[in-house]
Order: sequence, then C-alpha cells, then structure tokens
Amino acid sequence: MSNSKLYKGSLTTIILKLLNEHDKMYGYEITQKVKALTKGELKITEGALYPALHKLEAEGLLDVEVAKVDNRLRKYYKLTETGTKETVNKLEELAEYIKTMQALVNPKLV
Amino acid sequence: MKLTETQIQDLYTFTRQHFVEHYDLQTELVDHLANDIETQWQEQPKLSFEDAKNKAFKKFGIFGFMDAIEQKQKAMNKRYRGYLWNELKKWFELPQIISTLALFLLFYLAFSSDFVAISSMIFYMIIGAWVTYKTIQLNRQFRRRKELSNKKWMLEEMIFRQAGATSLIFLSQIHNVFIISDELLTSIYAIVGLSIAFTALVLVNYISFEIIPNKAEKLLNETYPEFSL
Repeated sequence: MSNSKLYKGSLTTIILKLLNEHDKMYGYEITQKVKALTKGELKITEGALYPALHKLEAEGLLDVEVAKVDNRLRKYYKLTETGTKETVNKLEELAEYIKTMQALVNPKLV
Repeated sequence: MKLTETQIQDLYTFTRQHFVEHYDLQTELVDHLANDIETQWQEQPKLSFEDAKNKAFKKFGIFGFMDAIEQKQKAMNKRYRGYLWNELKKWFELPQIISTLALFLLFYLAFSSDFVAISSMIFYMIIGAWVTYKTIQLNRQFRRRKELSNKKWMLEEMIFRQAGATSLIFLSQIHNVFIISDELLTSIYAIVGLSIAFTALVLVNYISFEIIPNKAEKLLNETYPEFSL
C-alpha cells in the first residue's frame, strides 16, 4: 500500500532514530533496516535518502567514517553529540504529532 | 557473489555518465549500487551485471542522482562558507586585528580625502588585478593536481576553482561605487560604510585566494576521511 506521503516529513526522524540505536551505518544498510523494521510498509527511496543524509551531515548532526570493504570504500554515518540531542527533540515532536492526530482521528465520546 | 574490481570501475563510470562529477559522491553511490547488485544476485544469481545495475539505478527514481548531487553541492558550499567564516573571525582577534584596523584606516583616509573617485578606482584595479592573477594561478594548480590524481573532490574544486565566486559579486558592484564616488562622500556614515566594504572585500579575497588554498590538504583531510586512503 502506498502511504509514502504520510511518511515523507518523518524521514529525518527515522534516520536519526536508527543511527541512535546503532553505532554506525552506511546508506544501503539504512534502506534495508527501514524496510525490515516496517515490514516493507515504508520504502525509503534512494533518491530521498542520500540528500537527507548529506543535509544532516552539513547540519553537524552526523559524522562520517570511511573504511575499505571488499574492493571498495564504504562511508559510515554516526550521530554527533548534537545529533544525539536532536534525536530526542525530534522523537518528542513526533510523539506530540501522533497525540494530536490521534485526537483528530478518534472522535471524542461525550 | 561480490563485485569484481572491473565491475566497481564500471560503476564509477556509470555515476560519471549520470552527472556525478566528484569522487566523494561517486564513491558513496558506487557502494550503494554494488550492495544492491550483490543483494539481487543472492536471489537471482543468473541476473546479468548490466540488468542488476539498471534495476538498482531505477530505485533512485526519475531524477536519478540529481537530488543527491544538488544536496551534496549545498552541503559542501555550507562547509566552505564555514571555513571562510572561521578564517575571517581570526582577523578580528589579536594580533591580526591590528592589520584589519590598519587596512580600514587606509580606506577611511582615502575616502575622506578629495580623491574619492580616483582612490576607489585604483583600489578596484589593484584588487581586480590580484584576483585575476590568483584565479589563473589556482586554476593552473588545480590542473597540476589533477595530473597527479584523477579523482575530483568537490571541496577541492571549490577551493581552487570557485574561490573567486564571492569576490566576483563584489567586483561586479563597481558601477555602484563610481556613482557613490561622484557624489563625493560627505556623510561620515557613507565613508565608514565604504571603508568597511573595502576592508571586507580585501579580507575575503585574501582568505579565499591565499589562506584557504594554502590549507587545502589539511581541510581536505578533515572533510574526507578517505582522502588519504
């Protein structure tokens, strides 16, 4: 079922949360983990993922590391200290959003 | 099944054909495509490399790598401006602040004199000549660097080839300066304002064309963990 429009604004939060739970991850790994976690409901398009990662890196929320793997170079992302704090903020924002939406969706019983 | 060295090089060529000019972004996308292809081969071992590659690329959507390229440029521009700003701040701390004030005083005296128009034209000509000379020199340096290594790093290109972008904007305001000069600045605010503008112009140019290129290796190693790999 295509519900990507609902998830669009949450991409940053999802990336930050995943990196918060893992020491470091590379781009392809992030796409696979999201697919596995959401049981295929949410597929991050590659066209959206890399811009989001580079933006977070430019904002100082992510740090990078490069390692030689097989016969190529692999770029790993991990959270900076600022990134870890921002993850907490973003998750709170999302929780608030869900609460508001719940109130809208569930009619109040008089 | 893992990709061979030749196949990896094919992926680099592929990214270049799809407008990814810089090695840093190419490398990240090559690794992604390679991972995708290897995953496809786990399920369909008989799939050809070409077919697997195209399937992997299709997942980037109709704009392909364009969004990634655009965002990477923005991110790198932000980083470059950060380096510029860090250097500029140093000119307002001891001991460099003395040079900054001396420069300001030079412009202030020139613009308070009866020779505002001539002074500003001479200053512009000196700055313009120096900027032109440095642009040619840096471009030559960049070409020599590319003879040694054919990897084009986005930040390296910004440092050596696009250093002049900011100053070109300043220089293009030359006609405005002449209009101001013709009125023979009488207001102290105008004189101070123009002196500050010229001081800033000189500092930014000096940092972009001299200081940052001289620190290129350090900044590139800082930005790219893989630079020395």
